[in-house]
Amino acid sequence: MMRLADDPGVAAFRTEFAAFLDAHLPAEAEARERPRSSAHVPGWARRWQRTLFDHGWLLPGRPPEYGGRHATLPQQLAHLEELADRRIYHSFNPQGLGIVAASLLTFGTEEQKARWAVPILRAEITAALGMSEPEAGSDLASLRTRAVLDGDAFVVDGQKIWTSGAHDADVLLTFVRTDPDAPRHRGISALLIPTGTEGVVRRPFGSIAAEDDLDFNEVFLTGVRVPRENLVGPLNEGWRVANGSLGHERTLLWLSYAERLADLVRDAAGRGDDQEWYATLQMDLQALRLLGHRRLGPDRDPAEVSVLKLLGSEAVQNASLHALEAAGADALPHPARTGPHHHMNNEDFVSSWFERYARSFAGTIAGGTSEIQRNIIAERLLGLPR
Amino acid sequence: MEFELDDEQRLLRRTVRETVAKVRGRPEREQWATYLRLGWLEAPPLELALVLEELGYAADPSPFLATATWFVPLAGRLPEGSGTAVFDGHGRYVLDADRADEVALLTPDGVTVVPGAGLAAERIPVLDPRLHVARIRAPGELVAGVPDLALTGLAATAVGACRKVLDLVLAHVRQRVQFGRPLGSFQAVKHKAADMHVAIERARALTHFAALTIAEDDPRRTRAAHMAKAAAGECQRLVFRYGLQLFGAMGFTWENELQYALKRAQACDLLLGTASAHRKALLS
Repeated sequence: MMRLADDPGVAAFRTEFAAFLDAHLPAEAEARERPRSSAHVPGWARRWQRTLFDHGWLLPGRPPEYGGRHATLPQQLAHLEELADRRIYHSFNPQGLGIVAASLLTFGTEEQKARWAVPILRAEITAALGMSEPEAGSDLASLRTRAVLDGDAFVVDGQKIWTSGAHDADVLLTFVRTDPDAPRHRGISALLIPTGTEGVVRRPFGSIAAEDDLDFNEVFLTGVRVPRENLVGPLNEGWRVANGSLGHERTLLWLSYAERLADLVRDAAGRGDDQEWYATLQMDLQALRLLGHRRLGPDRDPAEVSVLKLLGSEAVQNASLHALEAAGADALPHPARTGPHHHMNNEDFVSSWFERYARSFAGTIAGGTSEIQRNIIAERLLGLPR
Repeated sequence: MEFELDDEQRLLRRTVRETVAKVRGRPEREQWATYLRLGWLEAPPLELALVLEELGYAADPSPFLATATWFVPLAGRLPEGSGTAVFDGHGRYVLDADRADEVALLTPDGVTVVPGAGLAAERIPVLDPRLHVARIRAPGELVAGVPDLALTGLAATAVGACRKVLDLVLAHVRQRVQFGRPLGSFQAVKHKAADMHVAIERARALTHFAALTIAEDDPRRTRAAHMAKAAAGECQRLVFRYGLQLFGAMGFTWENELQYALKRAQACDLLLGTASAHRKALLS
């Protein structure tokens, strides 16, 4: 079906959610404390996430006991669109919500859902994702952190890196090698490691934006004993959990690029609106939204999300660079504010043009680099040989 | 918004592709008669865009594009036979003016339809050997006013031609072996192919959106048509460059089918304003 209007079921859902937001959004005075990392959630933001959970507006596609209302995929998209349009975060621990909790709901036992997923969803605890290692980035399947079963516990040794928010997180969903003799994709398992466990050392380090912008972490794991019941999914099937986790994240990930592009349309007005790149920016945003909506149809290849990620992340990078250049010497001050203040958003309004351009590389590097996305498109969608 | 082709639209696309392949190589008049018989000229904007994509894919030689997207939106009716229109204010490069039965002219007093034979149109040899482009000597004053559908039609045609280029290139790099490996296994080749695919998807989405806004007479229709034409032009630029490059010397020959798709896409960008002109239009 091709039409400009929403399906009536989606339109009603959208209206209901908009009314809920108008009634329940935290006031600005309440939301003064800023989160300092992607797993540090201030009290007001925890209460906000809890409110969403209680009303079934946190993850609407899930059943009510997990903060949802059995919403359809187009309704879930409408939910995220409404949040994005108003520059509202539904969680300030996005990986905890979108990847860790989502993975537990898909692959976890009932006990794991109750003990870990629900507290993450209700913002009682926060979580981070331990995937990359110093020697395993794009080639994730080469990861070497080992877990050896000793009685009723795994003993974990190794190192993770880029573990966003780990120093503020209560638990890490960690991918470890449990069968060193199996082919590399087969010997991996997923383990929940509480960060307070003896032998877990977290070292946050600054980003290109600022020395004290602490979200990245190195995590050193030395003789860490993890109860066997913290295994997520079957033993040695962690690769499936990893793909499922990232799949969750990636399906509607394009919306975050659309939001960035919309911010650039807004914030570069006056600097860009007499230059052709500003038209390209508007076209990229429109095309991304259209392709994102099309993506909701049945029988589509999951590899098509690579098209959305590549298009969205590269468009943000191009437009950010143009906006930086259009600002000229005005782009030198750093830190600086380049957008309006939104108390429910932690991003652009405190970022200089340099920082916005620099941060665009998170889009083209994290979650599968642009080069990996091009390989996926060429091999899986266009049928070129590996 | 809902943005997924339904089963009927998919079926139409398949039917058009099969029909065009079947009548290929027959006399132009016969091809044209087939398209008329199947009612494609009367297709609503979105379905029309799908038809045009397939005709662009085949570098179709018939006067379908000019009739459906130049004459009809200006004249407000189907022509007797084939048609075209002059809405650029001067009539220097008019699609199919040398063979159209009826021509709609945009004048200061509105639209006038005249018989094509009376315009003394002169065909101009152009880069696309199958494309008819002519200059006309206008009987009176002309004004400019390009219909949204004309821009959308060129965009859809270009998207189809670009897809043909990509399909030909993919077949080539899968089969051609150098250094003991198919060319398509090299990342330098894969990455260009992926970029072509993304550019085509982007242009196609914006073209379908433009057609949809015309179908629903949405206030965004003119902006959407500029976006579609600009995106198709940008797509053409990348697909031409990467496509011809990846095909190697074989793509540089007259015998190779690649030339028709490359040239059709290029011509669609050049007619009625290139990508840059339409980006500028979006800013005003």
